Amino acid sequence: MALLEVRDVTKKFGELVANDRVSFTVDAGEIVGLIGPNGAGKTTLFNCVSGLYPVTAGRIFFGGAEVTGLPSYRIARMGAVRTFQVVRPLKDMTVFDNVLVGAFLHGAGGAQAREAAESCIELCGLAEYADKSAGDLPIGGKKRLELARALATRPKLLMLDEVMAGLTSTEVKAALELIRHIREKGITLLIVEHVMEAIMPIADRVVVLDGGINIAEGPPDRIIDDERVISAYLGAKFSRRLQAKREERTNA
Amino acid sequence: MHHGALKRKDLFWLALVALMALVPAVSVITANSFLMHVLILILLFASMAQAWNIIGGYGGQTSFGHSVFFGIGAYGAGMAVVTYGLSPWPGIGVGMLAAAAVAVLISYPCFKLSGHYFAIATFAIVEIFNRLFLVWYWVGGALGLDYPMVEEGLANLMWYDSKTGYYYCALVLFALIFGIVRFLEGHRFGYYLRAVREGQETAESLGVNSTAVKLTAMALSAALAGLCGAFFVQYNLRVDPGMVMSLDMSMKFVLVTILGGAGTLAGPLLGAAVLIPLQEYTRALWGGLGGGVDLIVFGMLIIVIVVKQPAGISGIVRDIAKRFRRPADAKGGTSVGTA
Repeated sequence: MALLEVRDVTKKFGELVANDRVSFTVDAGEIVGLIGPNGAGKTTLFNCVSGLYPVTAGRIFFGGAEVTGLPSYRIARMGAVRTFQVVRPLKDMTVFDNVLVGAFLHGAGGAQAREAAESCIELCGLAEYADKSAGDLPIGGKKRLELARALATRPKLLMLDEVMAGLTSTEVKAALELIRHIREKGITLLIVEHVMEAIMPIADRVVVLDGGINIAEGPPDRIIDDERVISAYLGAKFSRRLQAKREERTNA
Repeated sequence: MHHGALKRKDLFWLALVALMALVPAVSVITANSFLMHVLILILLFASMAQAWNIIGGYGGQTSFGHSVFFGIGAYGAGMAVVTYGLSPWPGIGVGMLAAAAVAVLISYPCFKLSGHYFAIATFAIVEIFNRLFLVWYWVGGALGLDYPMVEEGLANLMWYDSKTGYYYCALVLFALIFGIVRFLEGHRFGYYLRAVREGQETAESLGVNSTAVKLTAMALSAALAGLCGAFFVQYNLRVDPGMVMSLDMSMKFVLVTILGGAGTLAGPLLGAAVLIPLQEYTRALWGGLGGGVDLIVFGMLIIVIVVKQPAGISGIVRDIAKRFRRPADAKGGTSVGTA
């Protein structure tokens, strides 16, 4: 049974259709990439799944239970936790306290939560900033804070909204390492990403949105050959580059 | 590292309370009735500001309605004594519960408003309750309640000869409310409250039920403001609507906290320790010039502080402490590891 099932979800803002009958599933243990051009409705879909927006039509199931219309804190408590594309540090709190807020979800006792927060901070490479005010972090640090905070809630499904956008290539590499590590801990990942070189090697499956519609779905290898995805998003040049890379790998 | 820092801070506060408990042993102070009055008011206003600080500082929801809860608490004790001829204690309990209930009822719809609109809505509530109590016969209307002579002591929470009894009551009130806030600061609820202040949607995305957190904080804050109101009426021996349920009184909750430093444990005490002596001594010195001299001084001080340091007096104290601590940090500051 799928961990997350999005069934015919439609989201309209007035006359604008941001998501049009989008359906897909995420199985436990998978890494699923959600890609598409700007304005394709990726973040809107995230907001619907995480309960920030009510859906106009359609249903969402998480862990076998329907979560359509539930407030976001209930969905988070069930184990589906997201990060924000535009980072949202709790500015006047320290980095440690930010992560501790997340850790309190499954550790009301202080000591247990503190331990969990500390290990998440360590994991995300934020240890040297722990006592700094979250508002003072550089952008890369704020992105990692988003991740650490969500991770501290011990989610079943972690939904990452462009955590790698704006990072340097070294930082992207570190982030990929971290994502692999998170998957090894048994956490399922749904990742919105613009950096194709980042998402393609780690995703088990990719869902492609364009104009609010789910235009393709499948393993990355198949997606980069898909005519519709190439014309809508990847572009011929980029697709050739990805294919060349794949051939390099198979030859090697 | 975090636990060590917490303990040192607690010791400081315990030592402070112990020191304040010794004040009545100094006969020079107890002989000066006006000084005792000022000390009692400092403790009372620090407690009131700390009660407000729960929702207003830590929770970030600026309420101008706290004089309503303060008034309900005052009327709870006052009516028990004046109307029903009882000890004030049952009235204090009922008053605190009523204050919390009223707070929840009025803030539930108001919390749907954000930012300034919440503050404006709470303004209106003060006016509503002020008018209501002015015309409400059962609570004494515009005449208010005047205390009869009763036997002094803790049972009646009343003393005539000396102010020492009131001083200790105020100190207990202070220790109780500061203790509660100190406890909350280090526990899940306190973290959730600050998280809601810093970003409601973010907090919700981490599993925090922001509505429940805000309502609980509001109920606690109102009940404690009501407890302060009960102490006030026992000390003042009289209550009428203009005295307690007024925008003036609401402003004091807000100003003392903001001047001292909202969202900090020390802020309410620092604010009260500066503003209350100023208020009482200017009143005593220049009261003949007509009412409001103290408010002029109040206003100017607020402007200066807020312009110089928006985090209030506690922000200034922190800056000074940092300046003194820096040389020590430089010596032992090389232990930061790389991840």
